[in-house]
Amino acid sequence: MKVVKDAIGYAIENLAAADMKFYIYCLILLIIAGVGLSGAVTALAEGHVHSNMSDMVPWGILISGLAFFIGLSAGATMVGLLIHGFGRDDYHPMGTRAILIGMMCIFAAMGCVMMDVGNPFRAMKIPFLLRNETSMFFISSSSYMGFTALLIAELVSTIYVTIGRAGSRGRKIAKYLGILAVPYALIVVHSFTGTIFGVVKAREMWNTPLLPVHFVTSALASGFALVILVTIITSWVNKKDLVSRETYNHMGIMLCFFLIATVFLDTFDYLILKYSGTVEGLETWHLFTGRYLPVFLINMVGLYAALIMTISKKFRSPRGLFFVSVIVIIAIAAYRINLISIAQLIPLYHELGEIQYVPNMHEVAPLIGLMAALMLLYAILTKVLPLEDKVHKTGE
Amino acid sequence: MRKLSRREIIKLASIVGAGVLMPGEVQAFGSMIDTIVQKMSEGIKGTIGKDIETPPPIPGARFGMVIDLGLCIGCRRCSYGCKLENNVPDSINPPYIMVFETKYKPGQIIDENSPVKEHESGNGLLYSKLRRDRMYMPVQCNHCDDPPCTKVCPTKATYKSADGIVMMDYNKCIGCRYCMAACPYGARRFNWSKPEIPPEKINPLVPLRTDGVVEKCTFCVHRTRRGKTTRCVEVCPNKARTFGNLNDPDSAVSRLIASERYFRLKVGLNTGPEIWYLTRPKRKPMAWYKPIPISPDVRGLKK
Repeated sequence: MKVVKDAIGYAIENLAAADMKFYIYCLILLIIAGVGLSGAVTALAEGHVHSNMSDMVPWGILISGLAFFIGLSAGATMVGLLIHGFGRDDYHPMGTRAILIGMMCIFAAMGCVMMDVGNPFRAMKIPFLLRNETSMFFISSSSYMGFTALLIAELVSTIYVTIGRAGSRGRKIAKYLGILAVPYALIVVHSFTGTIFGVVKAREMWNTPLLPVHFVTSALASGFALVILVTIITSWVNKKDLVSRETYNHMGIMLCFFLIATVFLDTFDYLILKYSGTVEGLETWHLFTGRYLPVFLINMVGLYAALIMTISKKFRSPRGLFFVSVIVIIAIAAYRINLISIAQLIPLYHELGEIQYVPNMHEVAPLIGLMAALMLLYAILTKVLPLEDKVHKTGE
Repeated sequence: MRKLSRREIIKLASIVGAGVLMPGEVQAFGSMIDTIVQKMSEGIKGTIGKDIETPPPIPGARFGMVIDLGLCIGCRRCSYGCKLENNVPDSINPPYIMVFETKYKPGQIIDENSPVKEHESGNGLLYSKLRRDRMYMPVQCNHCDDPPCTKVCPTKATYKSADGIVMMDYNKCIGCRYCMAACPYGARRFNWSKPEIPPEKINPLVPLRTDGVVEKCTFCVHRTRRGKTTRCVEVCPNKARTFGNLNDPDSAVSRLIASERYFRLKVGLNTGPEIWYLTRPKRKPMAWYKPIPISPDVRGLKK
């Protein structure tokens, strides 16, 4: 009980000490979240009738969002591995923040699913009351719950370590949870999310055993880019570098390696699509390089540009990495949209003619609202939780 | 009388505006909340079709259908009959059975690599005139032997029954639409909005669905398991469709498959489709009807 009392006291004290800018930031996020999520409430009452999805394109921007946010959560786990597995203590100031980023991303992914399904109340019966073990959707959604539980456990144990209440056993638990999160995230969460699409033999672009691997590499690249971005923005807001220049350089090198794997897979994926000469493959290629060329360009040009930038040491500075991270996140978001939404536009029968899908505001607004809500939650949590840098600074 | 200032006019207008608008807004919000609460209760309990008895599978049966493309004139009566029989709302568009006007002429050797003229009208689904020099092709759920949709459904809401019919349990469907993404035949339909059926058109033997669930052809399970044939077979003016038990060598479907040339859709995917298309040439003496119109506002299709 004393721990809870102390925690509440600490939270109130920190919130009271926050400046006006913080409250204005929270208010703006609250308004965006309210407006955006009201769209989700309307969809809950009236169905997805206002969306641009159809029986031809059953998965729209929200499912692309699921894949994107799941991917983003990967980077968070990497920080834990670097600290606990490789002894990189310079990443410590980002330890708790990275776990929080992972949690917010997994909440965003689950939120996307819940806003997308036709009957979210019934979906809550998964995995205990309704289940089908052969369904990758079932396996993935169950794995997200496990991942959330793992991240919460990691967060609690890390906080105990940070505030100095963990004994040697507690520190060991925090260490093992930090290490365990990486294989769990990569092998269970991300691979199976890729498998959701990989097993669908009806769709040319999806049906490849390489898709789970592709998901893992792009998840690592986008997730680590997000961690870098948050580190830089937090440093700018606090007017104090969270990590050293050497750590930024290391982050840039790590991102470069993740990008090499992603660019390699992306390039050969598209090359094979073009040169295999299958009807569906060529149709997909024509879509990507025709009607949806801007999305394709954002994906490929973005990834190549980011890769070239990270190779240069000049761009491994906070300012350079800021641009690189933004480019990587946008490029991989474009990849998810290409892979999931646009790949469905290949008609299952030629006689259907041209199939169309462009997400409208009824789909985009809830997504933005969800992101704003989770950014707000992150802002509040980083304010009320005893993070490493705050504890070190105040000497508590 | 004192002249009102601009600030006072705005204030007054806001109060009057709020007074006029708010009751309606509040009422709309209240009814929205009511709908959500009702949906929550329905979603958790699952009440669709609880009062309707679905006959059990027929032991030893394996239902399938043969469609003779030489007899199909593309009139879409199968599609329309199916819609009325199965309480399919207008919002389900395209219907369970799509009938395509193909780009192939009768007798043309189909070669995917040869340059074939595209449709003059642009879309093979939305034709409004029948052409005797074209082949028509109805497509629907293939009730596959190894259906991808049942494997991917996270809740077993869709399942393969013992007599081969791929069924839906609407009370388990969460509306994730994974089955739709996985179906190579585009045979599944989602209720994007609340389905409305006029009371006088409701078939009491078929459950009414809600929004947020997926539905599909059931081979008219309420009829076929009671010894009747499907509605689409019954209404076809040229008897292009034959329904029956593929496990029975004496059934009409088995005999047709044994004696005629046929193909099945996308067999390379190894789903084992149970709709068999006969490739006999078009017969001369055939009934010709105008096609039943289809709404050009098909969700997701270019008009």
